[in-house]
Order: sequence, then structure tokens, then C-alpha cells
Amino acid sequence: MKYFTSLALLLFTLQAKAQNAAPSWLEESLYGNGKINTVVIVVAIIYLGIGLWMFSMDRKLSRMEKKLKP
Amino acid sequence: MKYWWKFLGIGLLLFASIAALRTPLSPALVHVSPDRVAPGPAVVEVLGYNTNFQKGSTVGYLENAGQRVCGSAEVIDATHLRLTLEVPAGMKDHLTTVGIDQLRYDGALFTEGLGSGIESGACGPGVNKIDLSGVAFTFPNRSILYESIRNLHFHVPMWFAMIFLMGISVVYSIRTLGSNSLEHDRASVSAAQVGLVFCALGLITGAVWARATWGAFWTNDVKLNGAAVTGLIYLAYLVLRGSVQDAHKRARLAGIYNIFAFVLLVLFLFVVPRLNAIDSLHPGNGGNGGFSDLDLDNRLRAIFYPAVLGWILLGVWMFTLKNRASKLNDQLDR
Repeated sequence: MKYFTSLALLLFTLQAKAQNAAPSWLEESLYGNGKINTVVIVVAIIYLGIGLWMFSMDRKLSRMEKKLKP
Repeated sequence: MKYWWKFLGIGLLLFASIAALRTPLSPALVHVSPDRVAPGPAVVEVLGYNTNFQKGSTVGYLENAGQRVCGSAEVIDATHLRLTLEVPAGMKDHLTTVGIDQLRYDGALFTEGLGSGIESGACGPGVNKIDLSGVAFTFPNRSILYESIRNLHFHVPMWFAMIFLMGISVVYSIRTLGSNSLEHDRASVSAAQVGLVFCALGLITGAVWARATWGAFWTNDVKLNGAAVTGLIYLAYLVLRGSVQDAHKRARLAGIYNIFAFVLLVLFLFVVPRLNAIDSLHPGNGGNGGFSDLDLDNRLRAIFYPAVLGWILLGVWMFTLKNRASKLNDQLDR
């Protein structure tokens, strides 16, 4: 019940927002097309995060290679 | 086949990611205009999502306090309908449900004045004008969430992977305390480091999802703050390790701290957000239903569990890479 009340209240505030002003670029991109862009952003963040981890691992291996050389 | 679990992980991630992105949402009514009605003749424009309305007209109704009035709905295009009917006086509830054929939009219309109830009319079984073929396997179409329900298969497995890795970390910590082995200590810190990567991803993806559904990147929600504090506890674990010079002393100290850290993780992520006294916006916490309420036919689960297992396997793989690299590095330094 709490869930529905809070969701309903949120819906009202969102509607009020939508009526009062033109949506910002952020809202447009997050809420547009049934909010599919939210999923796109989330997937992109995960790819970026795993990619960054790969870079850190790469650097670690490079440093070890340098230690091996002399 | 030594690498079988790595192939399994890749396969599961491939399946879960494609299915999570390609499965259509079930048809639903998402918007009505106007959004309030008064007694008298009314024309309500109804917007559907993935509805694929067929040309012609079908049965539409208003439902207030369990009583129905019927009207006719004329299809404009695949997602637009025009519902024409006579709104009766004396509706009992403020919120009226709009129904088209088998689809319902609960609480779509608002009425100001209240009465003692309306007379119910029976709506005949109208000609089925909603084409539900070709959408055999669908995700629930929930207002506010809509397409973002797919994030369930990306955001949530981050936390499963993080908790699994922290579990590996604490197991190696306990073994460190028993064996005094620096090997176990190294495995413990490698697991915690990879776990923190997943923690960061979980926090950021959660913030984006929160912006799209709750309207803010961060709220003072017990689940959100608990997750953030858990991340900080494990950051402190790494800081603590950095501050002790002697390797054996560091291993013992970090091992003891890590056990406390895991206990706090369980408390902050599972116990505190579920206390009855606490309200939480986050699904599955503080008197708030989880997605299992939406998932009556297990369609989300069929994708979600493979996704969780896939991300856990990827996390374990990352942990073994990190651990092997650290081991080589230690040997080079010697």
C-alpha cells in the first residue's frame, strides 16, 4: 500500500512538473520513448566501468613488464 | 575443459543481455486526456503502448468503486483510441479506471464531487480489437517504470556480483586468520577490490534509474545510504591495509576488519532496509513490494537469474585475474 501511495504521489509531482515547464534535456532523454534511454545509459555505464577496469589491469601488467626487462 | 565456467559466464551474459533488451513490454494503456471528468457526455483520448489496436471500434468502460459504465471506443491508430460515453453523476471514488477491451488503466481519471454510487451497466464482450499475437513473451508494463524495467537485469546483478565477491573476500580473510598465509590475504584483498568495482557500478546505475523513476539521482533512502556506507566500509578496508607496513601484521588486522565489514554489509543491505519501522522507496524494502509482485508469470526471473549467474561468473573471473596479477607482482618485487 505504501508502495502505491508513494508511486501515486510521485506520479502527481511528475505530472505537475511536466505541465509547468518544458522538460529539460535530461528529462527528455531519460523519460523519452518509454524510458528506454535510461536502460541505454545504464548499459553504457556498465560497459565503461568494466572497460576502465580493463585499463587498470593493462597498466598493472605494463608496469610488471617494465620490472622484468632489466 | 578448464575454462568451462568462463564460457558459461559469457554465454549467460550474452543470452541475458540480448533477452533483456529485446523482449517487448506487454501492451498497456499509459495516458488519458483529459485526466479528469465531470458528469455528462465525455470524449476521452486514450494512449496505448505496444497496443497495436486494429481499425474499427471496440468496447470501452469506466469503472468506479466496482461499478461500470460502458461506451464505445473508436480506434484512431495502433496506439490511439477515442472513448465516447456518458459519465454518470454520483461517482463514489475520486479515481476512475479506464478499460479498453482486456486492458485496464487503474485510477486514470479524477472526479471532484462524490456521490453515493452509480448504476452498473454490463459491458458486452466486445469485438476483440487488440492484437495480442506475436507478443507471447513480454515483460510487465508498469507505469513509471515502462521500458526501464529492463534495468532489473543490469543494475541488480551488479549487487549480486558485489556481495558474492565480498563473500569470497571474507572467506579468504577467515582462512588468513587460521593459516597466517599471505596468499590467502592477497586473495582476500583482490576479491574486495573487484567487489568495489561492482559496488560503484551498482551505485551509479541505481542513481540513473532513480532519476528516471523517482525524479532524483539520490534520495535519503535507507537502502541507498546503506549501499553507500557499505562501499565506504570496504574503501576503509583498503585504506587500513595501506597504513600497516608489516605484511603479517597487515594480514591479521585486515582479516579481522574484513569479518566486521561483511557483517555490516549484511546488516546495511539486508536487515536495516527491511525493518518495519523504516519506509523505503527501493523495491523489496521497508514495506515496499519487490518486482516479484509484477512477475506473476516468471518472465522476468527467466532472464534475471541467468543474468545474475553470468555477472557473478564474470566477477569471479575478474577476481582470479586480479589475484594472479598481484601474485606475479609480489614475486617480481621480491
